[in-house]
Amino acid sequence: MSIYKDAKYMDVPYEEKLELFNEVKADMRYGNNLYGCYECGICVAACPSARFYDFSPRVFAQTMAREDVDTFYELLNDSVWDCSQCYSCTRCPRQNNPGGIILMMRDAAVRRGLQSAKDALQAYSRIIYKVMATGTQVAPDMLQPDFFPDWGNDVKAVAENLDVWRRAIPPETLHTTELAWDVSEKTRLELYMIWKLTGNLELIEGIDEGIYMILEEVMEELLEDNGYDIDDFENILDD
Amino acid sequence: MSSKPILVIGGGPAGLEAVRGIADLGYQAILIEKADFLGGMPISADYAALTPDMRSPEEAMGEMIVAITDNPSIDIRLSTTVVGSKGDAPNMEVTVKNAGGEEILEVGSVIVATGFKHFDPGKETQMYGYYEFEDVITLVDAEKMLKADEFARPSTGEAPKTVCFIQCVGSRDRQIGNQWCSKVCCGIACKQAIEVKEAAPDARVFVFYIDMRTYGFWEDEIYWKAQEDYNVNFIRGIVTEVTKRGDTLVVKGEDTTMGRPMEVAMDVVILSVGMEPSDGTVEMADTFELPLEPHGYIETTGGALNTVETTVPGVFVVGAAAGPADLEDSVSMGGSAVMKACSFIRKSELQPA
Repeated sequence: MSIYKDAKYMDVPYEEKLELFNEVKADMRYGNNLYGCYECGICVAACPSARFYDFSPRVFAQTMAREDVDTFYELLNDSVWDCSQCYSCTRCPRQNNPGGIILMMRDAAVRRGLQSAKDALQAYSRIIYKVMATGTQVAPDMLQPDFFPDWGNDVKAVAENLDVWRRAIPPETLHTTELAWDVSEKTRLELYMIWKLTGNLELIEGIDEGIYMILEEVMEELLEDNGYDIDDFENILDD
Repeated sequence: MSSKPILVIGGGPAGLEAVRGIADLGYQAILIEKADFLGGMPISADYAALTPDMRSPEEAMGEMIVAITDNPSIDIRLSTTVVGSKGDAPNMEVTVKNAGGEEILEVGSVIVATGFKHFDPGKETQMYGYYEFEDVITLVDAEKMLKADEFARPSTGEAPKTVCFIQCVGSRDRQIGNQWCSKVCCGIACKQAIEVKEAAPDARVFVFYIDMRTYGFWEDEIYWKAQEDYNVNFIRGIVTEVTKRGDTLVVKGEDTTMGRPMEVAMDVVILSVGMEPSDGTVEMADTFELPLEPHGYIETTGGALNTVETTVPGVFVVGAAAGPADLEDSVSMGGSAVMKACSFIRKSELQPA
């Protein structure tokens, strides 16, 4: 039973909330992220997100310190995604780390494939794909007049002759338009193995199946081109 | 010719320390105690453990009592009260009374150590229902239960699943007329919350407070300890009323830091009652014509720089008779009054009136 009269998610079984709560509490970082909270608000005062959103790092620290499972679940399904992870909140006099608490909660939300995690990461599909497939995120061909209207005519000129502009840069590895720099096949293979072995690929499957399938396809092709069998992973590692 | 004795009224922590100090300095002390035992409130109210160090009251007070026992310079009178006083220090005639009758004592100085009483929750203006609901108890009731090692829900005798403390009951309240902070209740609530968690580990324990005032070392020694090691819930917001729904109490309030209305079912509600001047303190003020300060405690003259001197020369006040005080305050004031009372007598002997 929540202590609040205006509690949300009361239709979700308490056991389900408790399981998630215990998962966060069992995180090895927990003891270093949270001691106790006397709700002084110094973290909120320092927090850039709190200026723009209905978001409070204090609420995370105090909710966890109180072991308030119902409110924890509310946060996990809502404002846990409003943090910018800048860690300004670590000036806490009790030495709490609200940003660290949030990171543990986000991890739990992604592991469980909670809808809030899916919603939050939806806008980042392209970034997830770029980072996981190539290891780079920002690409020259993002410079389009539609994306940067405030840059005026310059961006139009750059976009029209992007390939030429890029070739004007001395290092050959930067003569790229779709990627920030030339990424070798070896690098991409290594990246793939890291995602697979660390379980990150699996996490993405639970959050964004579309991106997962594209990644799988791209990687499979890459493996085949290099003569590797995706189902014989150990052999790739031996090479 | 030996000096006239110094009369100490009240055998609690402040009075015991005063008596010990007087004898140690080579003066004579007479200790008057209304009860038939020494140790004061920690003993008479059956405290389970002292705040903040969790020491046994019997052990701690026992130490103080041993320090004044079998000393030819100390005259201890139990089951005795002070009923009158004539003359000015250092030539006072104080009448004391016990079952054997009245006796007049010639004393050179007086130290009043008559302490406080716990606030009667029947006088609160919120609606906590202390005299209505069995499961609404006070810090004092909880101490007794904890001491007997049987902390349970009074109405069922079972281990409680939810317990809350409501702070500032009878303190910091203009409606009631008690505008002071009673100083110790925050620390005691933290201490008891720890003891409750030890007695009933599965219980969710809440402390509803206005400000947590666990000053000095009480901060990390009991407040942080209760929160960090025992997961006690500290919620800033005072309960407005306790009601009953079925067999369970319900407390209503606002979580002010969250800005959300609360309604929580509670098995046991503990009212953190504060201090008021004891009846003995009021009587001694009358007997020795000591003015009371605006809150009703015995007035001292020197503000922060002189915590024990009253407006009547040669009469001193120590401990909670002068205002809310914890053990450290009380014992320190006891020592301070000894220095002032002994020097008062010494000066009067060097320059006889």
